[in-house]
Order: sequence, then structure tokens, then C-alpha cells
Amino acid sequence: MTRALRLSPRATGIPFDWREVLSGSLPAMAFAGMLIWAQALEPAALSYDGLQLLLLSAVPLLLASLSQMFVIMLGDIDLGTGYLVGLVNVVTARYLVGDPLIALAIFVGLIAAYSAQAALIQTRRIPSIIVTLGSSFIWLGLGLIILPLPGGKAPGWLTDLLNASPPIVPMPILIAVVSAAVAYAITYALPYGALMRGAGSNADAIARAGWSMLKVRMTCYALAALFGLFAGIALTGITASGDAQASANYTLLAIASVILGGGEFSGGRSVPIGATIGALAIALVGPLLGLMDVSSDYQTGAQGLVLLVVLAGRALTRRVEL
Amino acid sequence: MTARAIAARRLPPGGLGHARDWLEEHPWIWSFMAALLLWIAIGVIAGRGVGGTLTSALRFAPFLILVGIGQMFVITTGYGAIDLSVPFLMTLTAFVGIDVMDHHGVALGLAASLGCGLAVAVANVVAIELFAVPPIVATLAVGLMAQSAGNVRASGFGAQVPDGFQSFVTAEVGPFPLLALLCIAAAGLAGFVLHRTAFGRGVQAIGQNRRAADLAGLRVNRLLASAYLISGLLAGLSGVLLGAQVTPSLDLGDPYLLDSIAVVVLGGSLIQGGRSNVPGVWGGTLFLLLLVTLLGVLDISLAAQNIVKGALIIIVLALASSQSAT
Repeated sequence: MTRALRLSPRATGIPFDWREVLSGSLPAMAFAGMLIWAQALEPAALSYDGLQLLLLSAVPLLLASLSQMFVIMLGDIDLGTGYLVGLVNVVTARYLVGDPLIALAIFVGLIAAYSAQAALIQTRRIPSIIVTLGSSFIWLGLGLIILPLPGGKAPGWLTDLLNASPPIVPMPILIAVVSAAVAYAITYALPYGALMRGAGSNADAIARAGWSMLKVRMTCYALAALFGLFAGIALTGITASGDAQASANYTLLAIASVILGGGEFSGGRSVPIGATIGALAIALVGPLLGLMDVSSDYQTGAQGLVLLVVLAGRALTRRVEL
Repeated sequence: MTARAIAARRLPPGGLGHARDWLEEHPWIWSFMAALLLWIAIGVIAGRGVGGTLTSALRFAPFLILVGIGQMFVITTGYGAIDLSVPFLMTLTAFVGIDVMDHHGVALGLAASLGCGLAVAVANVVAIELFAVPPIVATLAVGLMAQSAGNVRASGFGAQVPDGFQSFVTAEVGPFPLLALLCIAAAGLAGFVLHRTAFGRGVQAIGQNRRAADLAGLRVNRLLASAYLISGLLAGLSGVLLGAQVTPSLDLGDPYLLDSIAVVVLGGSLIQGGRSNVPGVWGGTLFLLLLVTLLGVLDISLAAQNIVKGALIIIVLALASSQSAT
């Protein structure tokens, strides 16, 4: 009798684990906490215009994080995200206004190149970290050839779009919600999405069931490139210029956002909402320090601290016994 | 069919077959052969003193060798182990080390650099072992903090490298930079530690199968911590040495993030861990440095150099992996 009672939560199908919920919501809590802190420092922070200012700079990183998510989902790692975003940034700044066809051709080429990387990783069984390490140098080199020095300009429509004022919801939040929803729909609503998630956790089963792991991997990498394109284009709209190296640190920050959002290096988990919130939290550190009048020297250190505190907090909450 | 399978068919048992086995056991040969090819190419194309080319490449080799060896110890422990704090740490110790040196003497400057390396390594280990943060993110987070510390130390930095230390770092014995010779000895020591001591075998064992190593009674956490410690100390040392060779700057360490990983895998160590190769770190380093020299000789822009470097990393490792995929 007592035994049956003890088992009852599982038996009745309500496996509620408050620790999982708590640890899963830590990044969101950190993000909310930082927003409240910003509000305390600057009363207009949470107003429509305040949020637009605070969060606009987070848009490229959150798109880059979704790009990285499609790769980490497979159990892979993309060391090229930052320089890919930088390359798209310079292509957009240099060509999109005057020669949109060249820009589009390069964009399509990049998606193809990412799929080719996936094919190389899948067929030759080379670790993704090595292939993307090599290709990151290629993206950087191409970016520096296209724009040796920072420059160029953003298309007017792009700047207008990013600074648009949709009703009620500020633009950066709208972009965050839409892009997370799109990534969510791809991986959870599409039948093929289940394969993409399964590929990370059990590639053998996918292959045995008759699906092509090659196609799955190539699709994921193509999607990663696509979100990388969005990130680079958004970055151009925000900075109004191109710089092949400005987004170098996006690689690691994007990986961090995905892990912060609940992703796992072993693959198999699609966490678009978590990754988006993780990226927002990391990106908010800079503007928050600005409000606190702290030197920008401390920005990266504070980002590292937020990462460690949230991830350590997660490990601790999971370890606590009821 | 892979190139290797074809080769395996053609080779008769005996002499050449043995050569193949030997090559498989010594994957670092490939990186040295690639470096040698580059060296010859430079000699042929530039028609200039091949000795001078090697000397100038050797001048910058020690910094990459030191962080490469440290990175190799970490990567060898496997299960996604990697030390991304290296570049930020190098920049930090370049500023801190030179600054302390200028005011309090060389010995204290070196001690301060190693101290920074120790502090970063301990933070890495705490995050990874106590809080179970994945190594990539843990070492990145700690590295970002080191970067902040470097930024803070850099503002208003005006220290001079003491003459004695400067001449030590740039000293040459015949055609060989003294530091490079010391790094050959350091690599020898690292090789001895990794392959001939119980500690080194333990580090490789936990990279091959951590659970088995644990069951076999190895102190996994302690071995893991030692690897990060070695990496931190070597990167700290490399940073202050590099700071004396070139003027400390905020981006001093940046190239060493990807390059330190590249030389490890180019040298035949497995990125998945469990198999390390110390001579390969030298081979990989010479390959990367001579490549840069060759592309410079060919008057290829820095931008295009990156493309060639990236493409070659992929090609070389794709070929090497088909060699070792049995």
C-alpha cells in the first residue's frame, strides 16, 4: 500500500519535478532579473522605447544562437558562426544596396557551403569541430577580401525595419518571438523536425529506419546557415556598416546561449525558446552595465559571470534532494 | 573506397606494410612532412636562405608550442574537454607579467604570470567539476572574466620589458632561437610525462573511457584538474613571453584560440581525446608558421592567407582521418 502510494505520481502520469522546472527557468529568471534591475536604474527602461534600445543589440546574437542550435542539436559544434555572421555582415554592407544579385548569390553559396560541410562531416566521419574550425578561417578570409577595412552601409529598408514601431510589442521582442517560433515550428511541428532532433540522440536508429542521416545533417546545417544569414543581415542593420571581425565572439557566445537555454552537447535537444532567452540575457549584460555607469572593460567578465552563475545554479538545483 | 584501402591492397606484406604500420603509430610524421614540403616550397619559390626561413618561423613557434601542449593535455582527457580560456589568459599575463616585471623584477613578473594561469585554471576546474558546467562553456566563461581583467590592466599600461628578460626571450644560439630549443626540451618532457608516467597514462585513460578509468581506481577528477592546471600554467607563461617579444596588446592572444586547437589535431592527437601526440604539436606548429611564411613570400594578402589556412586544415585532417579510420 505504502509502496503504491509512493509510486503514485509516476503511475498517474503526472511526473512533476519542481527542480527541473526551476533549473529550466533559471535563464529566464536571470533575464527578468536584469530587466528589473535596469528598470530600477532607469525608470524608462521597460517602456516601449526603452526596451527597443536595450534589446535591439541582442537581435544578431539571438539569431546566431538559433543558428548554432541547429548544429548542437545534432551533437555537433560550429566554430564558424561568428565569422559566418561577419562575412554576411560585410556582404550585406558592401553589395546588398548596389548589387543585390551578387549578395543573393553569395548567400545561396553560403547555404550550399554549409550543407557541403555537413556532407563532409557525415561521409568522412570527421569531427564537426575540426571542419568548422577550418571553415571559420575561410569565412574570415572571404570577409576580409570583400571589405578589408570596416565600411559599407546598410540598406535603408533594413534600418527602417529594425527600427520599426509595431503596435504594443517593441521590434526586438517581436523578432525574438517570431524567430524562436519559426525554429520551434521547424523542429517540433514539421514531421522532419522529429528526425532532426532524433539525429542527435540516436543517429543509428534514424539510419536503421531508412532515413538518410546525410540529408538530415545537411538540412540542419543549411538551416544553421540560414539563421546565420539573418544574424549577419540584422547586424548590418544595427551597426549600419560591415566588419568581418566585429562578430568574432558570436561563435562562443552563441554556443553559450544554447547551453544556457538547455541545449546539450550530446545533441538531441531542440531549445529555440531557451536559446533565445539565453542570448537575450547575455546580450543584456552590456546595456545594463552601461546604465550602471560601469566601464565597458567589465562587460565580457560580467557575461562570463552570468553564464557561470546560471549554469552553476542549474547544477545545484538539480542536485538538491527533496 | 578510401585512399588508404587502395594503398592497403597494393602494399605487399613485409617492408612497405611495416612502414605503413609504423606511420599509423606515428601520425605526427604527416605534419612534419607537410611542414617540410612547405619549407622546400619556400626555398624554391623565394630562392632565399632556407635557414633564415626556419629561424624566423622558430622565433614564433615557442608561444604556440607552449599553449599547444597545454591544450593537448586538456583535449586528451576527452568527453568534450577543451580549454577556451587560453587566448584571454595569454593577453592577461602579457599585461600583468610585464607590468609586475617592470616594477618588481623578472622573477616576480614570472610568478605573477604563473599565478594568473593558476587562478584561471582553478576557476575552470571548479566550474567543470563542482558545478558540472560543460568544459567549452566553463572555460569560455572563465576566459571572458580573464579578458575583462586584461582590459582593466591594459588601460594606462606603460610598462617596459626589462632588458634582461627581453634579451632572454629573443636570444639565439647559432641559427636557433633559445626559446625554441627550450621548447623542444619542454616537448620532450611533456612526451615523457604523457607516455612514460602513470600520471600521463592516466590522463590518456580517462580520455578513452572515463568510467572504466574510474572503475580501475584512477582519480579521474584529480587527473582532469591537473590537465587544466598544466594548460593554464603554460598559457600563462606563453603570454608573458609573447608580451616580451611583441608589445602587449588587447588582441595579443586572439589567434591562439583556434591555432592552439589546430596544432593539436594537425599533430595527430584525437580531438575526441584519449590519444595524444607531443611531437605532432611541433609538426603542426611548424606547418602553420611555415604556411604563413610561404603565403607571405608569395605576396598573398592576409585575407587570402586565412582562406588557404582554413582549406588546408580541412584537407589535411580529412586525409589524416581517412588514414586513421580503420
